Amino acid sequence: MVETAWRPIPTFANRGRFLIRLEEVTLRYGEGPPVLRRVSCHLEPGSFHYLLGASGAGKSSLLKLLYLAQTPSQGRLSLFGRDVAQLTRRDRALLRRRIGVVFQDFRLIAHLSAFENVALPLRIAGEPDARIRSQVRELMDWVGLREALDALPPTLSGGQQQRVAIARAVIGRPSLLLADEPTGNVDDRIAMRLLYLFRELNRTGTTVMLATHNESLAARMPQPCLRLAEGQVREEPTEVAPPAAETVGG
Amino acid sequence: MRIGFLFSRGEVPLTRDVSARFLPWLIAFMVYLAGLALLAAVAMDRMAARWQGDLEGRLTVQVPPPSDPGDETARQERLDRVVQVLLDTAAVSQVEVLSRAQTATLLEPWLGEAAAAPELPVPDLVAVTLRSATAALEDLPERLATAVPGAAIDDHQRWLARLFALAGSIEALALLVVALVGIAAVATVIFVTRTGLAIHRQVIELLHVMGARDLYVAEQFQAHALRLGLAGGIGGAVAAAVTVLGISWLLRGEQSVVLPGVAFGWAQWSMLAILPLVTGLVAMLTARWTVLRTLAKLP
Ligand SMILES: Nc1ncnc2c1ncn2[C@@H]1O[C@H](COP(=O)(O)OP(=O)(O)OP(=O)(O)O)[C@@H](O)[C@H]1O
Ligand SMILES: [Mg+2]
Repeated sequence: MVETAWRPIPTFANRGRFLIRLEEVTLRYGEGPPVLRRVSCHLEPGSFHYLLGASGAGKSSLLKLLYLAQTPSQGRLSLFGRDVAQLTRRDRALLRRRIGVVFQDFRLIAHLSAFENVALPLRIAGEPDARIRSQVRELMDWVGLREALDALPPTLSGGQQQRVAIARAVIGRPSLLLADEPTGNVDDRIAMRLLYLFRELNRTGTTVMLATHNESLAARMPQPCLRLAEGQVREEPTEVAPPAAETVGG
Repeated sequence: MRIGFLFSRGEVPLTRDVSARFLPWLIAFMVYLAGLALLAAVAMDRMAARWQGDLEGRLTVQVPPPSDPGDETARQERLDRVVQVLLDTAAVSQVEVLSRAQTATLLEPWLGEAAAAPELPVPDLVAVTLRSATAALEDLPERLATAVPGAAIDDHQRWLARLFALAGSIEALALLVVALVGIAAVATVIFVTRTGLAIHRQVIELLHVMGARDLYVAEQFQAHALRLGLAGGIGGAVAAAVTVLGISWLLRGEQSVVLPGVAFGWAQWSMLAILPLVTGLVAMLTARWTVLRTLAKLP
C-alpha cells in the first residue's frame, strides 16, 4: 500500500500516481464568496483521511467536487489520473461508478425497499440479478439490516437509514469512498462498527475520505486528517488532536 | 433500439405522478378530435367525388315556362324545339326531358308540397349527356337561345368549382386540426416530462451521481410516456371509431344527395389504427429528447 499523503503538489509530479489531485481549485456558488480558494493538493491511492472542519467550512462542497456533482469554478481536478474536464460524458459516468458516496442527508429513494436502494449501483452497472441478490443480502447482514431488507426507508430509524446509505455506497466495491458525516445518526457502538467497515474497505484497496465534525469519534480510530478552514485545506498527517471544546454536533 | 427499457423497474416513480392520470385523457381527447377531423375530411371528399361523378359530362338546359304557365301545348312545343337543337349537336349523346313530377321532386326540399302546383312558373329542365366530358359545345348556347328565347345551359361548372373549393378547404382544415393536435400533444408531453424531471430531480441527480448514463434515466421516462401515449391514443381512436360507426349507422340507407356516406374505407381505418402508435411514439421520442436535453445540463 502506498503511504498516505496529502501535501502540496511537487512541481514535476507524475499526475497518474494520484487518485485525487486538485490544482489551484476554486469553488464558489454563483456570485457568493469562494468556498474553496485556490486549493492545491493530492491524495494517493489506498489512503484513508478524515475531512474535518467546522460546519459550513465546505466539507460537503469539497466532496461534491470529488464525486463530480460540482465543477470547479477555476483550476483543475484530476481523478484516477485523468483531468475530469477532459473526460467525455460517458467516461464521466463510468468514473462515477468507481466512486461510492454516503450523503450527509442519505438520499435514499423513498419508494424503493432498503434492498433495492442498496442494489441501485449494481443495477446501474448492469449486474445480473442473481449476483445482486446475493451481494446485497450479504452486505445488509453485515451492517445489521437483515430484518429491514423489504422496509421502505421512511419506516426506518435515522441510524438504520444511514446504514442503508453506507451499504449502498460500498456495494459496488468503489475505488474511492466519500462519506459525508456517515456516523452522525448512530450511537458510538455502531459508529465504531461503521468505521471498522470503512477501514476494512480501505485495507482491500479503497481510498476513503470521511467528512465529519465528530473529532472525538475520529480520535478513537486515528487516521491522517485534512482540515478545511477559510477555503484552505491543511494537512494534519498525525493522530487527531484530542476532542476540542468547540467541536460541533456529533 | 433496445426494448428492454419497457420492462425496467424504474427508480423514478413516474407512475405515481398526477400527470400519469391526466396525460392519457388529454391524448385521448386529441386523438378523438383528429379522428373527427378525419371523418369530416372523408365526408367532404366523398360528397365532392359523388357530385363530380354525377355531373361530369352532363349539363342541364333550362327552358323558361311560356308566358302562361298553364299552357301545356306551348310548353311542349318549346321543349320540342330545344330537344331538336340538342339532337342536332354532335357532342350530345342523350337527351332526357324531366317530367314536371321529377322537377317537383328536385324542388321539394326547398318548396315543399307547393312544388307540384301546375300554376307555378317553374322552368322545364332537359338533362343532357355528352359523348365525353370534354366534348366541345361550340355554338350550342346561341342556337338554343335562338330556338327558345331564354333557354340557357347550366353546365354545373361553377357549382362544382365551389364545391371543390369547399371540400378542399375542409380537408385542409382537417389536416390543420391534425397538425395542431400533434403540436399540442408534443407540447403536453414536453410539459409533463419537465414536470416529472422537476418532481423527481433528487432521484435523477442521485442516479446521475451514481454513474447512470443519461439514457438510463431517459429510458424510464420514455417508457412511461410510451405507455401513456399508447393508452391515450387507443382510447381516443376507439372513441372515434365508435363515433364513425354510429354516424354511418344513423345514415344507413339514407343515400340523400346532400349527405353522402361517411363509412370509412380501409385507408381511413388504418389511419385511425395507426394514430395511437403515432401518439405513443411521438410521446416517447419527445420525452426522451426532453430528458436528454435536461440531463445534458448536469455536470
Ligand atoms: N448549493 C449551494 N448553493 C449556495 N451555497 C452553498 C451551496 N452548498 C453550500 N453552500 C455554501 O457553501 C458553504 C459550505 O457549505 P458546505 O455544505 O460545504 O459545508 P460543510 O462543511 O459540509 O458544513 P456541515 O458540517 O454543516 O455539513 C456554506 O457557506 C454554504 O452556505
Ligand atoms: Mg456538510
